[in-house]
Amino acid sequence: MRFRSLSLLFLAFLPLWLNAQMNPIKFERYKLPNGLTVILHEDHSTPIVVVSVLYHVGTKNEKPGLSGFAHFFEHLLFEGSDNIGRGEFDKYLKAAGGTNNAYTMQDRTYYYEIVPSNQLPLALWLESERMLHAKVDAKGVETQRQVVKEERRQRTDNQPYGKIVEEIMSRAFKVHPYKTTPIGSMADLDAAKEIDYVNFYHDFYLPDNAVLTLAGDLTPAQIKPIIEKYFATIPKSSKPIFRPTVVEPPLGQEVRDTVYDKVQLPAVIAAYRSPAENSDDYYAMTMLNTILAEGESSRIYKSIVDEQQLAVAAGSFSFPLEDPGITIAFGIANLGVDPQKLENAINAQIEKVKTELISENEFQKLRNQIESNLVNKNASVQGIAQNLAVFETHYGDANLINTEINKYLKVTREDLQRVAKKYFDKNNRVLLYWLPKAQ
Amino acid sequence: MKKHIAYFFLAFALFSSQALLAQEDFRKTAPAPFPAPKIQLGNSVQTVLPNGLKVIVVENHKLPRVSFQLFIDQPIRLEGELAGLSDIAGQLLKSGTKTRNKAQIDEAIDFIGANLSTSSSGIFAGSLTKHKDKLLEIMTDVLFNPAFPAAEFDKVKKQTLSGLASGKDDPNTISNNVSQTLRYGKNHPYGELTTEKTVDKITVDQCKKFYQTYFKPNISYLIIVGDIKPVDAQALALKYFGKWVKGVIPTATFPQPKAPQQTEVDFVNKDGAVQSVVTVTYPLDLKPGSPDEIKADLMNSILGSGNIGRLYKNLREDKGFTYGAYSSLSSDKEVGSFTADASVRNVVTDSSVTEFLKELNLLRDKKVGAEELSSTKAEMAGSFARSLESPQTIAGFALNIARYKLPKDYYQTYLQKIAAVTEADVQAMAQKYLQPNQARIIVVGNQDEVAAKLAKFGKVNYFDNYGNPLTAPAPVSSDVNGYQIIENYLTALGGREKLGAVKDVILTLGASVQGQNIEMKMTQKAPNMLNQTVSMSGMTLMESRYDGVKASVSQMGQKQKLEGKDAAPVADQATMFPELNYAKNGYKVTPKGVEDVNGQPAYKLLIESPGGSKSTDFFDKKSGLKVKSLQTIEQGGQSITSVNEYSDFKAVGGVLFPYKITTVGAMPFPLELIVKSIEVNKGVDEALFKVE
Repeated sequence: MRFRSLSLLFLAFLPLWLNAQMNPIKFERYKLPNGLTVILHEDHSTPIVVVSVLYHVGTKNEKPGLSGFAHFFEHLLFEGSDNIGRGEFDKYLKAAGGTNNAYTMQDRTYYYEIVPSNQLPLALWLESERMLHAKVDAKGVETQRQVVKEERRQRTDNQPYGKIVEEIMSRAFKVHPYKTTPIGSMADLDAAKEIDYVNFYHDFYLPDNAVLTLAGDLTPAQIKPIIEKYFATIPKSSKPIFRPTVVEPPLGQEVRDTVYDKVQLPAVIAAYRSPAENSDDYYAMTMLNTILAEGESSRIYKSIVDEQQLAVAAGSFSFPLEDPGITIAFGIANLGVDPQKLENAINAQIEKVKTELISENEFQKLRNQIESNLVNKNASVQGIAQNLAVFETHYGDANLINTEINKYLKVTREDLQRVAKKYFDKNNRVLLYWLPKAQ
Repeated sequence: MKKHIAYFFLAFALFSSQALLAQEDFRKTAPAPFPAPKIQLGNSVQTVLPNGLKVIVVENHKLPRVSFQLFIDQPIRLEGELAGLSDIAGQLLKSGTKTRNKAQIDEAIDFIGANLSTSSSGIFAGSLTKHKDKLLEIMTDVLFNPAFPAAEFDKVKKQTLSGLASGKDDPNTISNNVSQTLRYGKNHPYGELTTEKTVDKITVDQCKKFYQTYFKPNISYLIIVGDIKPVDAQALALKYFGKWVKGVIPTATFPQPKAPQQTEVDFVNKDGAVQSVVTVTYPLDLKPGSPDEIKADLMNSILGSGNIGRLYKNLREDKGFTYGAYSSLSSDKEVGSFTADASVRNVVTDSSVTEFLKELNLLRDKKVGAEELSSTKAEMAGSFARSLESPQTIAGFALNIARYKLPKDYYQTYLQKIAAVTEADVQAMAQKYLQPNQARIIVVGNQDEVAAKLAKFGKVNYFDNYGNPLTAPAPVSSDVNGYQIIENYLTALGGREKLGAVKDVILTLGASVQGQNIEMKMTQKAPNMLNQTVSMSGMTLMESRYDGVKASVSQMGQKQKLEGKDAAPVADQATMFPELNYAKNGYKVTPKGVEDVNGQPAYKLLIESPGGSKSTDFFDKKSGLKVKSLQTIEQGGQSITSVNEYSDFKAVGGVLFPYKITTVGAMPFPLELIVKSIEVNKGVDEALFKVE
């Protein structure tokens, strides 16, 4: 897949698309006896349908020495199955007028197809093949190994600032698996043994570790027997699914470092350890990011980019992660700007949300922005399918697609200040200077 | 490693239980589809306000949001020496009104969680339904009362210039510019290019004039999409846009651009390039909604759409010439175009052109297979169906139907038209619209390495980066002696005696990059000591030194000492007038021909030092002066070519120095350095050269 990718890329996280609406999104949720969760969302307005499978496995579940495995697996699982020859996965879809993609993150791996609605059985068959008996031959492994290496070169190694997340995570986490990023280590991929592949598939690609979501032009009564036919006989897990329980101790003190890279403009990155995505504080944190960095009137953009012209780009965003994660405030310096000066300007904006309660007026603006973001998040059936699956898997409640707005409405101005004080602490951050390498 | 994988294959397939599979034969083949769905296109409603503004409404209540797009359907026109004017004027619209400055507009938009953008052809705004009145108030303030503030004009102009500067050296940008201007010609609006020169000439008053002339309701469409009833949308349109006064819009006609009589090669030199950007292109007559449009589009999909096209399969998957090869066939109410392109390695440049032409001919000469046709149809139908999810697509259809006067059911019957295309149709379209014998083959690449092999495709013409013709490079006659050209150069500078008398030089140069001032200071002492600093706003970005034996380079607080071969790049720069001793020191000087440099013929010499470093220098035929120099260095597997051009020579102490130096390639942006001062034989502090 040309577009198959790690979504844990730096810039991919900048716009935060969230969700809420006046028209509730209706869906039906049930479980098959083998533990597979099925979610159906019926919407006949366009004759297309999305079929997605979210496996609750990501970088976090990798064993030490096998970093990059979850993502590599995502590539392998497009190779074929007992009944689908090598390369035919895409051919079937293309001939049906469909499209597909997949991504891997710290906490999940997500696959989907969008097909004309009469081709729904085909998409179900393809996903059931992937879940039941995926197959990869030696050539496939070698090809995908090269593709992943090329992906790493293009998106991480040769990308200006491409290694920021990697350098941040390895300093912010010492024991938790978040210390590595999904693309992982090429040495680990080279060293992997066949038994590692077999085990990974057996351990995680299981119906009781997955959510199958269908959204779009479908009729539940017609489609349920077909789901049953393809998925009900897939065997469930025979042992508990491995979930890491390790808790990362507090950072204790500021970690400051300098990284030299092939870039032209220096960057300053302040990464704060921050709350897990399903905690109340995470919603406050998201709102703080909006105040700081969403829109041209946001505090960091207006002050640092537009008025002082210290940076060509600046922002703040959080990684939505199941376990406590990271919030990054950053700036890429304008030509000739001393990074220290840029750091001071970013610090000043961070300090301001800690020391000053935001005004009623700005609070209203913030709520308006959040509401608008939440609405825009459900603009396509693909978006809806993904949101339902993620809420179900990570939060245990698919209906958050309709009720998440309440989590934001609960946050008060005082909460924002409290959360800013708690997490935007110097001793809770990794601060990197990203400087041009001498030629 | 190989060994591991061999039995991993077996192990990996073990997961499924054989017993289970035996009972489940249905898994062995792909299931049959349900009956094809009926595709229902969303409806649109169109009305016209008394002032001529056409209002299109697409009602869709799925999400509580609504968008307003104002599209000004301006007649095409030449901007001439002000090319780029309308783009700057369009950007400026949201930079201030009579009652709001830019910050206040940004704040008002963000306050309701909305978005608003402006361009030369109109305004797009969107928000939640409940904020629509506020949004329209801001949108119409921007539309009716733009203030064009001078400070914001300067900012936008500066951004435009730095955007142009950063693309100046980019082969794809060069290729797009040259293709555009050669395909349509400079006298057709589609062939105009925005350059630094034209942007410099644009004033804020001309922006105002553009706005006053063309922003009129009688040539505009207001497209309202989303959570709103048509009657309410029409009432809003009347309330906010009803008082907009119509006007007379000037129109002009232009001669129809023509494809060349026979295929020609249009070459643009990119010094040191390791890849060529190859484009096959020509204008054509294909109007939106013409009976050919859908059939021709399908034909092009087979040829070069995405990763399913033949070009991709041939040039990437089969030959490995490129990362991607694609084609496009665009309909347009003025003049359409065909373009096929790829970036390919130097050595396969001519082979790639051969493959492009082969694929064009193949589609003309041979019918497509049934499977290829049906798979392409499925792909197009699926992509059409997916696009219908967005109500903006429906609005786009309605706009096209209105603009191009298409039949009302044009999109309603799209799938039927796709389904009806036959193998013979595809061939007929190929014969009509693929013209391998009347095409421009535009190549941006390394002249020395790739140009000669392209003559087999047609006459090779040479152009600069903006599509201005250059005289073809000519071979030099064998009696031209490289050392004599060097000798003439030394004479032109002031003569051996005066050059030999220069003991030290302090040279200060200034440049402006994105509004920041850079200063470069070079201190040299004969025979070969150097100190060079680059600073910005008083901060030193880089310093390099050479003491005659060792060198050091420090940058951003990092210092590196260089000795032996590593010191060579700095040492080369340190020698004062190295040309004085080329013959004595064993430099090889080889004439490579005569080429234009900025419109003037110049001798091209390849200069190889005894240490192996190479440089290609150009000496003006008339004045004898060195006007251009390019060096390629290999670094970490990548080769970087830097090109310097010298002009505005003035004498100091009897010796000519260039007062203007432009440098491209060594930095992420091109630099124009202007000499601020030159001091000769004023004495220098030797501590400056010390390497520690």
